[in-house]
Amino acid sequence: MVECLSCGRRQEPRLICADCGTPLSAALDSFAALGFPRKLSIDLAALERSYHELSRKIHPDRFASREVAIRDASLRATALLTRSYRTLRDPTLRGLYWLELIGEKLAENNKRVPTELAELVFEVQEQLAGMQDAPGDSDAARELASDVVKRRGELQATMDETVAELERNFIQWDQRSPGIAENDRAKLTTELKAILSKIAYLRTLIRDVDRALENSKAA
Amino acid sequence: MARIFGIDLGTTNSLIAAMENGAPRVIASRETGEALLPSVVAIAPDGTVTVGERAIEMEPHLTHERDGKISAVGYPGGEYGAVIRSVKRYMGLGGDELAPEDRARYTFADLSGPVVRFQIGKRVFTPSQISAEILRALKDSAERALADGEKVERVVITVPAYFNDGQRQATKDAGRLAGLEVVRLVNEPTAASLAYGLNKLATGNVAVYDFGGGTFDISILSIKEGIFEVLATNGDTHLGGDDIDRAIVEWLLNGLPETVKLDRHVWNSVRMAAEDAKKRLSDFAETEIVIELPRHTIRKHLTRDSLEQMAEPLIARTLKRCELALADAKLKAGDIEAIVMVGGSTRMPLVRRQLATMFHREPLCSINPDQVVALGAAVQASVLMGNQGDMLLLDVVPLSLGIETMGGVMERLIHRNTTIPTSVTEGFTTAVDNQTHVDIHVLQGERELAKDCRSLARFKLGPIQAQPAGVPRIEVTFLIDANGILNVNARDERTGREHSVDVKPSYGLTDEEIERMLEEAIDLGEQDLEERLLISSRNDAEQILGALGKQLGEYGALVDADERARMDEVAERLEAARRGTDRELIAKLVEGLNEITTPFAERIMDAAIKLALEKKSVAELS
Repeated sequence: MVECLSCGRRQEPRLICADCGTPLSAALDSFAALGFPRKLSIDLAALERSYHELSRKIHPDRFASREVAIRDASLRATALLTRSYRTLRDPTLRGLYWLELIGEKLAENNKRVPTELAELVFEVQEQLAGMQDAPGDSDAARELASDVVKRRGELQATMDETVAELERNFIQWDQRSPGIAENDRAKLTTELKAILSKIAYLRTLIRDVDRALENSKAA
Repeated sequence: MARIFGIDLGTTNSLIAAMENGAPRVIASRETGEALLPSVVAIAPDGTVTVGERAIEMEPHLTHERDGKISAVGYPGGEYGAVIRSVKRYMGLGGDELAPEDRARYTFADLSGPVVRFQIGKRVFTPSQISAEILRALKDSAERALADGEKVERVVITVPAYFNDGQRQATKDAGRLAGLEVVRLVNEPTAASLAYGLNKLATGNVAVYDFGGGTFDISILSIKEGIFEVLATNGDTHLGGDDIDRAIVEWLLNGLPETVKLDRHVWNSVRMAAEDAKKRLSDFAETEIVIELPRHTIRKHLTRDSLEQMAEPLIARTLKRCELALADAKLKAGDIEAIVMVGGSTRMPLVRRQLATMFHREPLCSINPDQVVALGAAVQASVLMGNQGDMLLLDVVPLSLGIETMGGVMERLIHRNTTIPTSVTEGFTTAVDNQTHVDIHVLQGERELAKDCRSLARFKLGPIQAQPAGVPRIEVTFLIDANGILNVNARDERTGREHSVDVKPSYGLTDEEIERMLEEAIDLGEQDLEERLLISSRNDAEQILGALGKQLGEYGALVDADERARMDEVAERLEAARRGTDRELIAKLVEGLNEITTPFAERIMDAAIKLALEKKSVAELS
């Protein structure tokens, strides 16, 4: 239970006092903060509308002349809201947050390359090394660079496919929750973790490619 | 409720504005009619402070005597008094962060400390103290111009979007030192979008290109039903019109001996000439620059083309920043529906051309680029007073925030361009048995290694109860408020007890130092106040005497001899009194003169109305 600092009403944890509309400093999960059910598939336009509507009500700009305690509650409630919105808006962050909610997490120090990416990773690293060794202003260097640009496009396509895979996993969770069977849960969790590590790996790879391209442009 | 005012504390000029009848307006000085106050502060060897146009006259420069001799005038720095311009460049900087060219411009006290300090006479001044003088001058000037003795107490101050935590804190400190309550710091480009947004931008993606005297910012916003949401921001807090001036100065001084180049009188005279030439070249294709030095005469011809060649690399840097901001916003140049121009440097035709090429559309410049930030600050002030309905600003933090981890790596906790306010909670524990403290080093920046990021603060968690390594669990919450400033608190996860966190900022002033400066300011303040009141009553006297003289010249026929004699008598006494120091006498005579001349003023008004009705000019009548 939380108590409203303005009217004193005690209530279930929420962002805004049910009686007087004052922001409450409460611990809420990201779905609850935005007033969304705990479902992984989210209508992003509706999410944004809810975020804007709630921001209008609780943002510190609305309480600039109130007493310190209420300004502080508004600050904390808004910080929670913006953080929650940022988490839910991005499918990858949403997936990671889901793992956290169900008491799981991606193994830290997850250095092993996902098997289906192994070949691709090897090829990209070869290419980047080749581009680094080639003399800056030569036909060979330009050819290698244009290959890397092409590769960048392929990597992005793989990333898009993987995010689509993630969205399919989300739908599966939503169809089975609440009351998901234990073996379904284990299967979906394993799949979700695999997809998320693949995304994390692809992201690093794309970043390395972008950096290499940036450096070759600068050279 | 007392009004909240908007202040643009700029590198080159500062302004104050407020909402009036639903529209933001700048408050011009009653004495000069000028809205822009040059951000120049002169401090005489005895500590007397002068701000604005008159401070510029005291800058070290060369002057021509009537006999043809060239002499050096002004305060050159150190024990001779100094004139500080572009103090904003030094806000929040540590002594070790000063660029070599800055060290040549001013005299600094000990540079080993966490704050740059100017040495002037026997006293030292931090950049926040110098900025506080500018704020105080704006406050006083506005209060003299406002009706009904309205006071300026609560303000919104704008800062470059790319200001880091230390620079923001230093700005807030300046407000406090000037006796102002800083209700909010607002990012300059965001403020500008608010000024345009009141009626000109309904919905869509907007880029705000803010190229001022000392800083460059680019912000990309999405505007939707009154919500101004910043998607990304980028910039350079040490890139501005000043740098173009410096490039011209280099070119002008090229070939002269080092000793001449480093002379503060010479340098400043050349800088002024360079700035003038740059401004002229916004309207003309070429210009002549002549500067007479004691043993040299610089005479050079500058064309717009060659100025543009000098400025091009600097503008290219701004365009690169625009690309980065667009990428962070996940948008392309073609997705931008309007480009808002802010800052005096956007007057350069080259800037406008290059932006038009990049975004494939003409930039908006219908609001004066020197005023748009202050006007936007006034709009935000009005939002804070609850007067703008659904309008709401959602800004972002410009730089990532993180902590130093094992091996000197920066671990990001809050990513750049995250909407503020925001917070993150991180768990900490001990590494060895019976450890009683955990040291935490907070950083800001985008680099991988802690040593390449800017140190924000260090603090110690504890005392922690002696326990085996890894058992204690302390939750630390890093919260960035709506001003973009970090707050930290810590809680023991098991006991739920709040830990006190003694954050020691790596740069900037501690609370104790601010308190001490405030006390000093209060001591000096009473003396200042008496002096300010005297100046203000003298100004009143000057104004009424000037106005009366002008009216008698134009409408003398409307006064009879008897009335005229009475006016002259009081005017003469006031003329004498305003040279003295009796403030109350001056005030009494101003009031007396006001009273005697009221019927005359009314007759003038009647005559003017009659004239207007008959659509005749004074010339036709006579």
